[in-house]
Amino acid sequence: MARSWLDYKSPAWVQWCPGCGDFGILNSIYRALAELNIDPEKLVVVGGIGCSGRTTFYVKGSNAHALHGRAIPLATGIKLSRPELTVIVSAGDGDLLGIGGGHFVALGRRNVDITVLLYDNAVYGLTKGQAAPTLPAWIQTKALAHPNIHDNVNPVLLAFASGYTFIARGYAYHTNQLKEIIKAAIRHRGASLVDILQPCPTYNNVMTNKWYEERVYYVDQDDPSYDPIIRTAEDYKIKLPKIMEKLMEFGDRIPLGILYWNQAKEPLEDRLEKLMPGFKDAPPGTRKISVNGKPFLHPFDVFKDRVIEVP
Amino acid sequence: MVDLTLIIAGPQGGGIESAGQIALKTFVIKGYNVIGTREYHSNIMGAHSYYLMRVKDRRPGSVRLPVDALLALDAESVFTHFSDVREGGFIVYDPATAKSRIDQIQPMATPLKERLRRFFAERGEKPTVEAAIKAAEEHGVIPVGLPLKTLLKRVAEEAKTPPASVSKTVNTMGLAATLYLLGVEPEIVEKAIALQFARKEKVVKVNIIAARIAVEYVKEVIGAKARLPDGPHKGKQRMIASGNDVVGMGKIVAGLGFISYYPITPSSDEALYIEKHNYIAVPSDAVGELGYDKLSIVSIQTEDELAAVNMAIGAALAGARATTTTSGPGFSLMNEALSLAVEAEVPLVVTLWMRAGPSTGMPTRTGQQDVLHAIFSGHGDAPKIVIASGDHVEAYYDAIKAFNWAEKFQVPVIHLLDKYLASTMVSLDREDLDPEKIVIDRGKLVEKPGEGYKRYEITEDGISPRARVGDAVMYVTGLEHTPDGKATEDPVAREEMMFKRESKMKVVEEEIPEEDKAVLLGDKNSEIALVSFGSNKPIILDALELLRDEGVTARFVHVRLLSPFPGRLVAEILEGVEKVIVIEANLWGQLATLLRAYAGIKPQHSIVKINGRPFYDNELAGAIKRVLETGEERVVVRGGA
Repeated sequence: MARSWLDYKSPAWVQWCPGCGDFGILNSIYRALAELNIDPEKLVVVGGIGCSGRTTFYVKGSNAHALHGRAIPLATGIKLSRPELTVIVSAGDGDLLGIGGGHFVALGRRNVDITVLLYDNAVYGLTKGQAAPTLPAWIQTKALAHPNIHDNVNPVLLAFASGYTFIARGYAYHTNQLKEIIKAAIRHRGASLVDILQPCPTYNNVMTNKWYEERVYYVDQDDPSYDPIIRTAEDYKIKLPKIMEKLMEFGDRIPLGILYWNQAKEPLEDRLEKLMPGFKDAPPGTRKISVNGKPFLHPFDVFKDRVIEVP
Repeated sequence: MVDLTLIIAGPQGGGIESAGQIALKTFVIKGYNVIGTREYHSNIMGAHSYYLMRVKDRRPGSVRLPVDALLALDAESVFTHFSDVREGGFIVYDPATAKSRIDQIQPMATPLKERLRRFFAERGEKPTVEAAIKAAEEHGVIPVGLPLKTLLKRVAEEAKTPPASVSKTVNTMGLAATLYLLGVEPEIVEKAIALQFARKEKVVKVNIIAARIAVEYVKEVIGAKARLPDGPHKGKQRMIASGNDVVGMGKIVAGLGFISYYPITPSSDEALYIEKHNYIAVPSDAVGELGYDKLSIVSIQTEDELAAVNMAIGAALAGARATTTTSGPGFSLMNEALSLAVEAEVPLVVTLWMRAGPSTGMPTRTGQQDVLHAIFSGHGDAPKIVIASGDHVEAYYDAIKAFNWAEKFQVPVIHLLDKYLASTMVSLDREDLDPEKIVIDRGKLVEKPGEGYKRYEITEDGISPRARVGDAVMYVTGLEHTPDGKATEDPVAREEMMFKRESKMKVVEEEIPEEDKAVLLGDKNSEIALVSFGSNKPIILDALELLRDEGVTARFVHVRLLSPFPGRLVAEILEGVEKVIVIEANLWGQLATLLRAYAGIKPQHSIVKINGRPFYDNELAGAIKRVLETGEERVVVRGGA
C-alpha cells in the first residue's frame, strides 16, 4: 500500500512559532517517510526536549519522548531490542551536542542503525534563546546579554570523529533536498547524522534565512565529481582528503548534501548477530520469555561455572 | 558441631580471591555449608585485602571475629589481623617477614600504623611482625612459620621451572598449610584447586605441587593433625555463588533481554556475570513453545549511567525485560530517568548495590545508606517500588519478582542490595534456586493492540494495557499527557493522570504478598523487637541464636518492601512490644525514619555500623545485650579490619 505524507501527520496542533525552520524539517520528514512507505507502527520517532523534540507528537509513529539529552540512549535501547524497527532521533543542538554530547559520540562508536536529525538553530529556543553549542563565538543573538564567548562545535566533524557512517547537512527551508537527504539517511544501515541548519526567527536574529542563503551550497552541484561513498579501504584513502575538506568547512561557505557515506562498516545489530546467531530472529523485545507462565531455565543447569559436584 | 572461621589475607593481586574461593570449594566438597566475604581496597595491586569465611554444618548466616585461623601472606596481614585470632587458633605467616617494621609497609593505612605504634610502644616493643606474633602468642595463639621463599624453590625444582614462574603459588601454599592445620585432608584441597583452575592444566599441576610441599613442611614442624569429620552435605550437586551472581542468575531466569550498565563497584560483577552468560542454549523441551533455540541477551557497557538507565528504559518500552545495575554514585545520575519511568509508566528494573558513601566514600566497602535515596529518588511525585533482599536466596527470587512487579504495575522497581551481599559467596542447593517456585507475570502486556490504542487509557485499577513500542501508533512521554499520550497541561487531565499513577500504588500495596513486605522472625511473643532490613537478616538470626543460649529473646521484623512502606503491617507486627531496636548500617537512622513516618513507631534504640564492614553475629549479640542492660540510645559496633 502506497502511503501519502498525510498518513504520517498526527492530528496534534503544531506549536512552533510562525516561520520556524522546524516546519520545513517536519514537512521533509513526512514526505521522506511516505516515499519510503514506512509502516507508522514500525516507525519510532524519539524526541529530545526542546522545540525539536515535539516532532515526536507530530509524526504518526510508535513514538517516545525522551529526557533532555537522552534521546540517543533511549532510541538505542529500542533499536537493539527490536532491530526491525525504523528509529529516528529528532532533537536540537543543545540536546544532542550540549547536555547529550557524550551520547552523541557514543552512538558513532556503536554505529547502531539510528537516524539522528539534528535541528541546528544555534540557540535554545524553548528556554528563550540562550546560546547553543553550535553558535559561533562573538555572535550576540538578541537574548544574550553579551556576545557568545564559547566557540562552536562542528557537528559533522564530531560525527566523523565519533564513527558515524552517514553524515549529511541539510537546510530546513530546502525541503525537497532535505527530504532526499533524510531518505538516504533512513535507508543507510548504521548511525546517520543529518545536521539540519535552520533559522530560529524568534531568537536567532543573526543567523537568519538571509545569513544562511548567502553561505550554503550543495556539494554535488558545486563539484559534480564529489563522491562521499566509501566501500573499500582504497576508497577511503582516495576520497578522504576531499571529504575532510567539506566536513571542516563552516563559515563564509557552508556545504550541504551527503558529505560522507561509509557503506563498508557493519551496524551494531550485525555485530550482535555475529556474536549471538539467532539474535535478530528472537530479539529481546518480542520473544516469549516463559513456558506455561514459568521460567524455563534452572540456574544449576545453566550456570555450570558455579556448580560443584560434591562426592 | 563444626563452626570454623578463617581469614586469608594478603596484598591485592596476590591471589587472595582465588585462595578464598579454593577454601570455600574445599569445605563444600568436604560436605559443609560456607559463607565467605571479601574485603578489599579501591586499588588494583598492593593494598591489603582479605577473605573472611565461616564453615558450618548448618548454613552460616554471618562471618565473625575472632577467627580460628589466619593465613597472613605478608607482613601487613600479620599487623592487620594478629589480634583477630582466638585463643588456641593459628597464625600462618612467613618467618622471613619477622623483622619487618610497620614503617616499611607503604600501603598500610596511616591511622592503623599510628594505632599499632601506640600499641607496641605501650608494650615497650618495636613495631615488628615478630612483636605482633609474640602478642598473639601471649593470647594463646599458635604461630606457624611457613618459609615461603624456601618452599617456592622446592616447588620450582619439582615443577622443573624457574622460581619466578611459580611465585604465584604462595597463596596456595599458605592455604594448603592452613587447611591442613584445620584438619582438612590435602586430597580435598587438591580437588578444589583442580576445580578452581579448571581447564588450565599447567596451573593446576604447579598449584598441587605447591600445596603438597607446604603440607609436608607443616607435617614435619607441627606433626599430624586430627582429621576434620566430613560434613552432612555429601553426594549432591551444590553451588557457590556471590550476591552479584545470584541476582544475575535471577534476572536471566526471569527472561532478561537487555542490560545496560556503566562500570561501578560493587555492581559491575553482576553485569559481567550476565554478559558472560548472555547466550544460552534453550532446553530442548522448551524450544517448541518458545520458537527459538538460543537465548541472546543484549548487554551494553554504556558511556555513563545516564545512558545506562535511559537505554534500559528504551528497551523496556520495546518489550524487553530490561535492567541496569549500579551503586550510589551512579544511582544519583539515574534519578531524572527514574522520574521519567514513573511518568511514562515504564517497567524498569534498577538494581542498586549500596556502598559506603557519601560521595565516592569507600567504594569497596559496605553500607546501607541509600535507603531514603532509593525511595525518594526522582523529582516530582514519583512513587516506585523498592524491595530489599535479606540473603542470597531472597536476592535471587527478588530479582525475578522485580520484573514481574515492574511489568504488572508498570512502575520502576529498585532492587536494593549492598556490597556485603554483592561480594559474599555462600553454598547453595538446587532447591534454593528453584524456578518452579515462581511465575513469570507480564501484567497487561498486549500482543496486538489494534486501532485506537491508547497507552495511558484510564482504567479502574489505574493500570493501562501496555503495548510494545513498534506494535501500535502511540506516544510515550515524560510530559504530562492525555490517555493517548499527547502532551497536555490541562488542569483536569493532569489530575486524572496523577490519580491514575497513585491508584497503581494502591494496587501494589494490595497485591504484593505480606511475606514480601515484612516478615516476623525470632521469638514472636517477645516484648523486645529488632527491626532491620537487607543483608542484616541472617546475621541477626545468628545473633538471636547466640542470645537464646543466654536467655535473651526478641522478635525480629525483617522489612522487605521499603516502598511503598508497609507501615500498617509493621505496626501490627510490633504490637505489644516495649522496646524497639533498629539495626542498620547508616548513621542517619534511615529505617528508623521510615518507621516513624509510615508506621507511627518511635524506636527507642539503634545499633549501627558505619565502618564499611558488615555486622558480625557475635558483636551484634553483644550490642543487643548492651542496649538491654544500659538502655543506651545508640550503640555503634566496630568490628573488622
